[in-house]
Amino acid sequence: MDDIPIQKIQISGPTLASLLQRFSSSPGDLQGLLFGHITHSTSSTLSDDTTTTTPSTSTNPSSTLIATITSFISTPSSSSFFFPSGNLNPSLHDLSSTLIGWFSGRRRTPLRLSLRESSITSSLSSNIQFSFPVQNSSQTLTLSPCLFLLLTTPFQDQVIHTHEYKAFQFRISTDSFEPKTLDVVNIGPAFGGHYGNFSPNSPFPMMACEVRGLNAMVEDGRGENDENLRRMKSFSKDQKELDLVAEGFEIGRLSQLMGPEASNYMAELEDLYNKMLAKLDGLARLVEKSSARVVEQENHNMKLRCKVAGLE
Amino acid sequence: MAVDSIPPLIGTQLNYLLSHSPSAIKVEQIWSGSKKPSLLDRFTLVIPFCLDYIKWDVIYNAMYPLAAPDIIFGPEDVSFRPFPMLGEQGDSKSAKNSLSDWNPKDPTRLLSLILELRELYMAYQRKRVGDVDDDRLKFEISTIFSREGIEMHMSSGVDKTEEVKFAVPLLDMDISKMIIGCSWRHQQKIYLQVIFPVGRKYSAPPSAPRLKLVSSPDLKALFSIEDFRLPPWLDGMCMAEYLPSLEEMLESQIRDAVSSIEVRRKFIMALPPHFGRPVEADPVFCRKATFLAASGVFIFLVHFSLPLQFPKQRPVLMLQSSQHFSSHGAPIKSSLLNEYPWSPRWEASEMAERIFNFLVEECLSFKKYCNENIVQQR
Repeated sequence: MDDIPIQKIQISGPTLASLLQRFSSSPGDLQGLLFGHITHSTSSTLSDDTTTTTPSTSTNPSSTLIATITSFISTPSSSSFFFPSGNLNPSLHDLSSTLIGWFSGRRRTPLRLSLRESSITSSLSSNIQFSFPVQNSSQTLTLSPCLFLLLTTPFQDQVIHTHEYKAFQFRISTDSFEPKTLDVVNIGPAFGGHYGNFSPNSPFPMMACEVRGLNAMVEDGRGENDENLRRMKSFSKDQKELDLVAEGFEIGRLSQLMGPEASNYMAELEDLYNKMLAKLDGLARLVEKSSARVVEQENHNMKLRCKVAGLE
Repeated sequence: MAVDSIPPLIGTQLNYLLSHSPSAIKVEQIWSGSKKPSLLDRFTLVIPFCLDYIKWDVIYNAMYPLAAPDIIFGPEDVSFRPFPMLGEQGDSKSAKNSLSDWNPKDPTRLLSLILELRELYMAYQRKRVGDVDDDRLKFEISTIFSREGIEMHMSSGVDKTEEVKFAVPLLDMDISKMIIGCSWRHQQKIYLQVIFPVGRKYSAPPSAPRLKLVSSPDLKALFSIEDFRLPPWLDGMCMAEYLPSLEEMLESQIRDAVSSIEVRRKFIMALPPHFGRPVEADPVFCRKATFLAASGVFIFLVHFSLPLQFPKQRPVLMLQSSQHFSSHGAPIKSSLLNEYPWSPRWEASEMAERIFNFLVEECLSFKKYCNENIVQQR
């Protein structure tokens, strides 16, 4: 695990906005994990905007590490991630996305690290299980989740100035917190490089389907062994799922998009899209309903907590 | 839920802390961290340290009243990070502290957390002072190492000159045990504050430190620290040389102060033959006594307050009418009376008699004064 200074931390406008929104709408304090990636920047000043000046904005590319926060999860209590002493909950160890740090939002408090926050950050940073490779680097560098983002609100409620935030990198070598600039990524020529580096962190699931109809050569691989059989089973399961979505519009019929029948076929396709939209709408409603249930449950939990604490 | 209330579990812990702390901890402000401010779940504690105060914010979460609190230390103490985590090689046992097995129902927990942190903070400041590159300081620390209870503080900042503060507890004795019926809740102590400027290398020979005696507040009833003259700090002196003679002087003066209680008690006991039994008297330090007196139909109280330098200094008297009240409803009082015949060489009984004789005259003019005041109001 290496301990290299990060030059700056980037966060996209929508991610920061949703983080701030989540914080300001939460009834109490908020904690959560930050996901993203740390990239070895090769100073990509490539831009299709001709007005940008000389591309030789020479920052030493050999040591430029840029952290990008792409997403986060949050809970109103740090107890889901951490023990009260600041030790990490072991159930965290099987996270799939790259954990690069965590954040804490607390109302009407000074913009300084608290006792538990510094403990948790140093604990995360020194935990070898969470170390991850730096992207784009020529040498194989690995880093640990050493970032901490602190969000607070001013002591007096104010109309304009409603939030304060500060980002830190914890350095194991010096056992200290270094404040880092937080770049909010927005659309524009200055962020061309960022968009070039975009990588989706929830990729389309791998579905092992054969394109039937186009390829008549698919042989009925009669189960020579169990392995083959299992693969066949998962094939057919995935295929069924795909067929359910396509509703009979298998890929072979796509050829009808051309030629004389195209206009009829268009109407059929539009119908399919409409059905898909209706399904999406239904899904959205389901999500809405289940969210309402979650909120209800959360309120119920809060009441129970208050009862235990002697508050009613 | 009540408006602006402290959740009971947090409240009991805070109350326990305030009433059971060995040194007086205060709450500076208390506020809410919730979206709808109704439950007060965070407060600033003012904790005495090294004859100064440190302010720590205690952050509870009203939404999770069973969870352990978090602490934010002062802006100067960013590098103070107690309870370091040991990463994957540290087993849970080695990282045990007041927070690791928090029990919200135990009212003593907050106090023990704060006390544990204060101990760690003391060690942290001691280490900072020890790291200062100054030969004199290193020498001072090595020579007073054996003394117990010394607190140190290193103050540094952008716009401040670097200096090291020592708070040295003096006199290893329990003063309250020397006084009969003493009611002090906290042990009273006298400290010497020594402030060393941190020397720059190659500069002039080190200047004398700034010295100041500080006592815990309740001690004022017995002994006035302001009246004590510190012995001079000679060139090239060190604390280990300075402290023994200072302690010797202090101890003899404290013993004098304790014995002067008896002198005052004698005086107060000489008053009843003239004034009757006191309405109220301070039986421990004998600094105050109040008697009810009458002159004809005029009834009034006589307040005696005895200075520490009694009998060298005479008692200060004040009369208070029991029959005349100001427009605000407060009883009318005389000004402080200390111009009357007095000699410290008189016997206590003579002192009492002379004061009584003085008051026989004085109360008439006080009565007149009271009546005038009433007339003015009408």
